[in-house]
Amino acid sequence: MTELGNDRLVWIYTQMLRIREFEERVKRTFEDHPGVIRGHTHLADGAEASIVGSVATLNPGDQILATYRCHGYPLALGTDANAMMAEIYGRTGGLCGGYGGSMHLVDPERGFLGTSGIVGQGIPHATGAAYAAQIRKRGQVVLSFFGDGSTKQGAFSESLNIASLWKLPIVYVMENNSYNVVTRSEQEDANAAAGEPLAIKATAFAMPGVTVDGADPIAVYDVVGAAVERARAGDGPTLVESKVYRLSAHGNLIAPPGVPLHYPEHEAISVFGNREEYEAALRGDPVPRFRARLIEDGVLSAEQADGIGSEVRNEMQAAVDFGLNSPLPAAERALDHVYA
Amino acid sequence: MERAVPTMDAELANRLLSTMWRIRAFEERVAQLKRTMQVHGLIHLSIGGEGVAAGVCGQLRNDDGVYSGHRAHGHAIAKGAPLTGMMAELMGRVDGLCHGLGGSMHVVDREHGMLGATGVVGGNLPMAAGDALAAKLGGTDRITVVFFGDGAVQAGHFHESVNLAALWQLPLIFVCENNGMAEFTSRAEHSPVDSVSDVVAPYGFKRATVEGSDVGAVWTGFGKFLKLARRGGGPFLLECRTHRRAGHYEGDAQEYRDELAEQEWAQRDPLARFQEQALADGLIDEPTAAEIETQARAAVEAAVEGARKSTFPTAELAAELVYAK
Amino acid sequence: MSHEIPYIAAINEAIQLEMERDEDVLYFGQNIATTEDDPFLKAFGSDRVRVTPISETAEIGMAVGAALAGLRPVVELYMAEFMLVAMNQVVNEAPRFRYMSGGRVKVPLVLKAGYGFTAGWAGQHTGSIYSMFTGVPGLKVVLPSTAADAKGLMATAIRDDNPVCYFHHYLLTLEHGDVPDGEYLVPFGQAAVRREGGDVTIVATGFMVGKALAAAEALASEGISAEVIDPRTLVPLDLDTILTSVEKTGRLVLVDQATRYGSASAAIAADVAEHGFSSLKAPIKQVTALDATIPYSEPMEAFLLPDEAKISAAVHQVLGGSPVATA
Repeated sequence: MTELGNDRLVWIYTQMLRIREFEERVKRTFEDHPGVIRGHTHLADGAEASIVGSVATLNPGDQILATYRCHGYPLALGTDANAMMAEIYGRTGGLCGGYGGSMHLVDPERGFLGTSGIVGQGIPHATGAAYAAQIRKRGQVVLSFFGDGSTKQGAFSESLNIASLWKLPIVYVMENNSYNVVTRSEQEDANAAAGEPLAIKATAFAMPGVTVDGADPIAVYDVVGAAVERARAGDGPTLVESKVYRLSAHGNLIAPPGVPLHYPEHEAISVFGNREEYEAALRGDPVPRFRARLIEDGVLSAEQADGIGSEVRNEMQAAVDFGLNSPLPAAERALDHVYA
Repeated sequence: MERAVPTMDAELANRLLSTMWRIRAFEERVAQLKRTMQVHGLIHLSIGGEGVAAGVCGQLRNDDGVYSGHRAHGHAIAKGAPLTGMMAELMGRVDGLCHGLGGSMHVVDREHGMLGATGVVGGNLPMAAGDALAAKLGGTDRITVVFFGDGAVQAGHFHESVNLAALWQLPLIFVCENNGMAEFTSRAEHSPVDSVSDVVAPYGFKRATVEGSDVGAVWTGFGKFLKLARRGGGPFLLECRTHRRAGHYEGDAQEYRDELAEQEWAQRDPLARFQEQALADGLIDEPTAAEIETQARAAVEAAVEGARKSTFPTAELAAELVYAK
Repeated sequence: MSHEIPYIAAINEAIQLEMERDEDVLYFGQNIATTEDDPFLKAFGSDRVRVTPISETAEIGMAVGAALAGLRPVVELYMAEFMLVAMNQVVNEAPRFRYMSGGRVKVPLVLKAGYGFTAGWAGQHTGSIYSMFTGVPGLKVVLPSTAADAKGLMATAIRDDNPVCYFHHYLLTLEHGDVPDGEYLVPFGQAAVRREGGDVTIVATGFMVGKALAAAEALASEGISAEVIDPRTLVPLDLDTILTSVEKTGRLVLVDQATRYGSASAAIAADVAEHGFSSLKAPIKQVTALDATIPYSEPMEAFLLPDEAKISAAVHQVLGGSPVATA
């Protein structure tokens, strides 16, 4: 891969910070503005390095499809944070006019083709997009993001088989956070139970499989970048297992109306009583880790880093304000868009 | 490929040849009956697969479970299903194994451990895993076998079932009949992985590929896994390379593939191949071989006659059987 | 004797009692029994109680295979829509097997799935999709609306020899109710008359039963006497109770949270039109969700769904537009 220049490194850090701050604001909305967010949200905190390191490898025109844990990708692609927050608040100014909410963000103009709220079901969508890219011959590459739980879905194996067979221009990025909602992967995955990297699954489809430290954006950039180059060259797909640690619980509390929604503690603590695992993950938090590295390498000064932090905080405060001030949709709009 | 050295004796050779002839005679008769519309519906023949059916089912007990797919006649016959009940089922008669409600693709004979066949590719895989779970929980040494084609391997439920079978160490033997054709297209159009046993490589359990037209190789390959499964091992996967002599279904014009040259077919015809070998090895003599064939054809003919004596089910039966009482 | 517990606890109580009663009953599926402290796991062990990966096709297919092998699995699907991922197993395997075998096998299993989480869960987790399964001969479809029924119908579902889709409504999860102690079975195909009345028959399912009762209460103050019937099971459907009521009232309002086209409501309307036409003094009125995917945002979501006001308006309409019943 081409060496990342200082501007690019700072861009990566900035996007990581934007995602972190956005997710913090989503989480805080449950406390600061109860009732504003309905339903279910899933946060990407902990996966910022993996997301931005991956997105940094893309060219304009490339595409991404993802899961319900979807706030990070559009932010890195340049989607307006205001519209994203308004969507999560169910407002007319939302990215999808309040029809989708947190799990169903879409921004096709920037290549974010969408998500599925059902585990694994976005993988075939992404594979179909890669098929379109292949036959259009514009050199587009698709990134398909999903979690480790998805890899037990038939949709995963069905898709990877076809992609390998057809040499589709796609990179499958599995964000392995070791949890399926509240189930640990070794409880449900034969490879995890055997202590093997999940990238080994690629061999079933005659596809390269690589495991990378998803907390290191440069490592992710190198690995995903090589896979993207391979895909763009027409040599077919790659499965990248990006090891991340989700720093929040799977999602906010699932509760019937009347019970205040909030984020419970991470499942490592709340379900398995393993505080040490969680605290170790906090010590390895990719965002401060990358900041320290950039400062140490002389790419950024501490003051510059603080400056970025304050800009990002202002941007996300504005997104919250925008969302709160955007009106709720007119009720009868519910019948729009049923048919094109 | 694992080259088999079966411990073949005259008794076993006779038994295997009998089973294979019963399947061959049955399938050839079904093809005739289909042409005259005495058998209707979608018919998938297993000519060319007799070696797998005989080599696998011949080692199973009645309490071992077998799940098959749409190409199930051979497996059912080898597992012990009565020919008359089979033929009556295919002819839609009330004395058929399933009272004529299932037909060719849905043969069930629980008495002989033929637990079922499903008409949807790979739909039997998780069911077989469920049977193996029941076997394991039951605390006996019974095991489950699931037959499927290479086409089923690309269905997501194949990997879902394999993961769970591996994770829960189920006494399940996956037997893939890789005939290189998934319905109407060749395997190369379905998967970048030629050998089905390589598809399960990530799961770490024992697997093997044998020549399916060599019943001795199937017998030996399957026997090794069976012995381990009886002792609580599992799962396992045995891939049998076979050749589908007939089209995907009866009446299929097969414009999608070239016919194997007759000479090549003779080499891959499990029945002819085994009979010649057994004769050469002195395990049987010519009159015995001829007698086995004659008996098989007579048994099939008797099954046709028996089936013809059976009536068609009453229309009311269709409504009566919607729910368990 | 009875005790008061939430709807969800009543479901669990039934599964627990049936597992105690019959060691062939299994309980497996997504996001259950992930720790040693899990009450099912503690009571019945990891052979009979298991978490599975998110592999619906394998989960449901294995339930079919285990059922054919003589066990009685209860599959935790978590959300009704997840059944759609494995539609083949639900629609084209479980209910077909027994029939196609000529009655030689049976497939006793329960697919337990929550539905109708109409609280901002947007388009993929809120559907009332049970009518997709009512048209599949061989499947039974159960929709408990009270804690007692949640228990009694689950017990009956587990003992039934057929595949049963057991749909519990997410918004009823914490609704408390009186539940009979010990063994308690609610038979399938017996509707409950939740409120008696003579002017109009309201048939409501699941979560809508409560809305219909609230509407009936309000209508009573206007002098309108509404009878409210809860079918409890859509397959089999107790049409007789509905027809008997319509014979008495001459008017029928159907309330269903599902979208209208091809719904349970439409099926009941057709049956009453066919078999009870001479009893009807006014056209049948259906109050259903409007035909759209449930949107995320609250006002739009509310707009699509049936509620008390829509039920009352429909009652007024079948009574001739007058807010007061004709003498």
